[in-house]
Amino acid sequence: MKTLKEDKVLDPIVQQVTTFESGNKMAAMAAAQINYHIMGYFPITPSTEVAQYLDQMKAKGEHDIELIPADGEHGSAGICYGAALTGARVINATSANGFMYMLEQLPVQSGTRFPMVMNLVTRSISGPLDIRGDHSDLYYALNTGWIILMARTPQAVYDMNILALKIAEDSRVRLPVIVAYDGFFTSHQKRKVNYFKDKQTVQDFVGPCSTDYAFVRDPKKPVTIGAHMNGDDLLNNHYQQSEALYQAEDVFLEIAEEYRALSQRNYPLLDLYFMEDAEIALFLLNSAAETAKDVADHLRSQGIKAGVISPNIIRPFPAAAIRKSLKKVSVLLIGERADSYGAHGPNVTHEVKSALQEDRQNNTQVISRVFGLGGKDFYPDDAKQFFFEAMEAHDTNQIAKPFDYYGHYPGTTNQVLKPIIEPQHGDVFKTGLFKISEGENRNKIDVKIPSLRSLTEKPKRFTPGHGACPGCGILSGLELFFKGIEGDIVVLFQTGCAYVVTTGYPHTSHKQTMIHNLFQNGPATLSGTLEAYNKLKARGEIDISDEVTFIMITGDGGMDIGMGSAIGTSLRNHRLIMLEYDNEGYMNTGAQMSYSTPIGHLTSTSNIGRAQHGKNMHHKDTVQIMAATNMPYVFTGSEAFPGDLIKKAAKAQWYAQNIGTVYGKLLMTCPLNWRTEEQYGTKIMEAAVNSCFFPLYEIENGCTTITYNPEEKGEKIPLESWLRYMGKAKHLLKDSNKPLLSVFEKEVEKRWKKLKIMHEMDEL
Amino acid sequence: MTTLPVTNELGYFSIRLESIGGLGANLAGKMLAEAGVLGSGLNGVNFSSYGSEKKGSPVKSFVLFGDSQTEIRSHSPIEEPDVIGVFHEALFKTTPVLSGLRTGGTVLINSSKSIEQLSQFTDLPNGKIAIINALQIAIKEKTRVNTAMLGALFRICDFLNPEDMRQTIRKTFERKNPHLVDANIKTFDRGYQEVTIHTVEDTETEKTNSFIQEQPELGYLTQEIGGIISGQGNSLLKDLASSRQGFVPALEKESCINCAACDYVCPDFCFVWEERISKRGKKRMLLKGIDYQYCKGCLKCVEACPSNALRKVKESDQAIRESQAQIAFPLIKGGE
Repeated sequence: MKTLKEDKVLDPIVQQVTTFESGNKMAAMAAAQINYHIMGYFPITPSTEVAQYLDQMKAKGEHDIELIPADGEHGSAGICYGAALTGARVINATSANGFMYMLEQLPVQSGTRFPMVMNLVTRSISGPLDIRGDHSDLYYALNTGWIILMARTPQAVYDMNILALKIAEDSRVRLPVIVAYDGFFTSHQKRKVNYFKDKQTVQDFVGPCSTDYAFVRDPKKPVTIGAHMNGDDLLNNHYQQSEALYQAEDVFLEIAEEYRALSQRNYPLLDLYFMEDAEIALFLLNSAAETAKDVADHLRSQGIKAGVISPNIIRPFPAAAIRKSLKKVSVLLIGERADSYGAHGPNVTHEVKSALQEDRQNNTQVISRVFGLGGKDFYPDDAKQFFFEAMEAHDTNQIAKPFDYYGHYPGTTNQVLKPIIEPQHGDVFKTGLFKISEGENRNKIDVKIPSLRSLTEKPKRFTPGHGACPGCGILSGLELFFKGIEGDIVVLFQTGCAYVVTTGYPHTSHKQTMIHNLFQNGPATLSGTLEAYNKLKARGEIDISDEVTFIMITGDGGMDIGMGSAIGTSLRNHRLIMLEYDNEGYMNTGAQMSYSTPIGHLTSTSNIGRAQHGKNMHHKDTVQIMAATNMPYVFTGSEAFPGDLIKKAAKAQWYAQNIGTVYGKLLMTCPLNWRTEEQYGTKIMEAAVNSCFFPLYEIENGCTTITYNPEEKGEKIPLESWLRYMGKAKHLLKDSNKPLLSVFEKEVEKRWKKLKIMHEMDEL
Repeated sequence: MTTLPVTNELGYFSIRLESIGGLGANLAGKMLAEAGVLGSGLNGVNFSSYGSEKKGSPVKSFVLFGDSQTEIRSHSPIEEPDVIGVFHEALFKTTPVLSGLRTGGTVLINSSKSIEQLSQFTDLPNGKIAIINALQIAIKEKTRVNTAMLGALFRICDFLNPEDMRQTIRKTFERKNPHLVDANIKTFDRGYQEVTIHTVEDTETEKTNSFIQEQPELGYLTQEIGGIISGQGNSLLKDLASSRQGFVPALEKESCINCAACDYVCPDFCFVWEERISKRGKKRMLLKGIDYQYCKGCLKCVEACPSNALRKVKESDQAIRESQAQIAFPLIKGGE
């Protein structure tokens, strides 16, 4: 939605406009105005909106940054690094485990001295998984050699994004910069923000790209980037880097001053609130400091000398400024949204203490508190409590607990989690109604399944009460698959909708054992579980006669970022099933495109506008990729063809128990993000199959069989008849999109024809 | 210069919207705040409860206003709102929606009930109760509940200029969906005009709605280490009725052929089956009914039903009573 009045001019010389926006929007706005060359990214909450906003603006032709959706954060960091090597301007945005996944790349970037800017929208890192804000990801950034700026408000996010690039590229620095702001608190809360009306103002401020370094840009000047070193050389390299990082403090001050003159907004090293004469003070990073200021006002009105310190930069750490600000402070409470487990205080506590240690006259007592993890709110009352603790230490001149957590809660003994249903296992899930035999054709097995009606006697593997959206295709599809699986299962869910909606602590919708792991590693994890289980069984350490089927469940996102793990697992041929529910996008994080999204389809990172027409590449043929690992059984299925799917499930179980790895892909409707009516979910799946977009087939020991041929059944429909149902694809039916539709149709037809030939020839 | 009717000690006027994901409360909060900040020149903040909440689960949206000189620094959920907007009356059952309402504050409720019916349905606080049948307006105008709610909220927050909102609606729709402009403006105006405001005074009982900061079910002494849950399947304790938006499937058993097509498409596992032995001694599964505790009203089952035994009906206590059955879980006796 557009802002109401966009022409509120503030400054007669450099025009600025007032808007009402979130931190993520302002990061995107700054990036668009700078008009970076490249953004390599991978969606992760809560940073994803940065790429989404940039994609929206791009569709409208408001910038021409090349937005590259990577296959994971490790890939995104690679794209960014590679792009930076040419001297191009590069930006990225990430959070939490996305940041952890790219961590390896960050010292490469800083150690080889290639500037770029990354927005780190701070969020709790797993495990257990929590998508809300804290600083546990940020603390892993402290040793990467990157400059780290801290943005407390959406206004600061905009401003710092402009400062960051100029600092990064300064010849005295030449280092990458992180702009860190609080996930959800700053990234999503909308506040009043001023920005430059003319992007030229921003571009003039950051100046032209530097070209006078050793870059990959001119064949006439060949270079070697990334030669390996020994200690003699590495120490010298790192000394250079260390010096450059310390140099960044002066550069920051210089550039911030220049910016103040332009914008009337001031960014000193430390944001000091009532610190001239404060006796007690709180030291807080980012948004919590703002809340504490309100409380400081209140305490000041009661005559209490309270102050707040919040750094605008933490790498380099402004030690001298901190020493100066604390000269007269009697007690400082440092509140941190992360811990350095076992270190008797998180990182900033130690850095502040170490800064103070160099001032022999300083008598400040330091209290350290871990608070607000995983997005736990920091209310004004909490800030008040922090001040009271400091006040008590000031009055009594002693600190009872120098380091502690704050806000943790013991629970009550009458409220513990008790099992509410009898454990469901073994015979409960055995109907004995399936007949499986090795067929005459040695490459194939025969499965006879009971009627759908009689299978209703089999209890469901999920309990109801899960949090999926109304009409979600995932849960019904998975349960249908489970109908074909007899006996015990151990399931692993990679991060994704199905995991999130079925396991909101302290609730679970799983009747049997469920494991979660992050979504680039589920197949490897479950292969470990399976092999250990088998080993324990072989050594007689567990006594279970029945077979257990191990099933790894993933979304299409997990098959993008986790492709390597999935392929590795199939090549090792572990006896497990990998089941993908494909809803053509990263729906759990807000409907970003996945590689499985079909061409032309609308997602939050493949928008439609005059400069862009939805996704620009074809849907990934994951089934054929997985089949190329030569695993014994591969299949596709859909809830619109229940008999077909149940049969394949039974086969999958047989192969996983007797031969090796199985992979299956189920297409699912996502009413929310496909923009379809909830009630038509199954019909839409039927249309996807009948249009041959999603053929139902299996590959058994290398032999392909189409298990339902819409042509032979006289059910084949044009692709349009499927697209018509979906708000995300309807635009493809417009006359102006005919060429795009035709490209899509040809690809679908090509894959279908190939499949038919494979069906005919066992050797293919 | 816009003046706020009341402010707290920090100078804020605050609004909390209580809703279900998918009803558009988040957007409504944003538009309300935008109208105040960019239209009326107030300072403001807008944010929502964030998480992995899907469509159909409870969400909150917060708006804080201050005068143009008041810097708004707070980042935490609103504890003591001046206005509470309840987008779905089923929330009264699941969420402490009125928590922290300021004395003299206003509660706006999207409901088809009269003030008398509402006060029987739930314990209303002393103060102003505003009622708007936003769902009915939205169904009639083929628009969304949030626009009608916004109309009512503008009426309550009379320091905002409704024309700002009309202009935003025009801007939002005129380029891509010009046919929606009139319907949305009409929805907004109907919300503005049709909201009824009542004063509840209950002198007998002194009711307070002090803000409760909810504690988690488990603490560090009672959580199993590693966040592991040993009691499987406990989501069955949840009631998902508030995910529905006015319609439910109704089962007419006489027409049911027990084909199980509904069972296989239901994402919420609501269909209840019973085993019967036929005259020939064969086991037969018969559809007994629907467990509405879990039904989110997606109506996929209605589409799947080949015999028209399942129909889409307006949700009512009677409709539910007629098709209700309860899933027989293998509950542990003496369990929760």
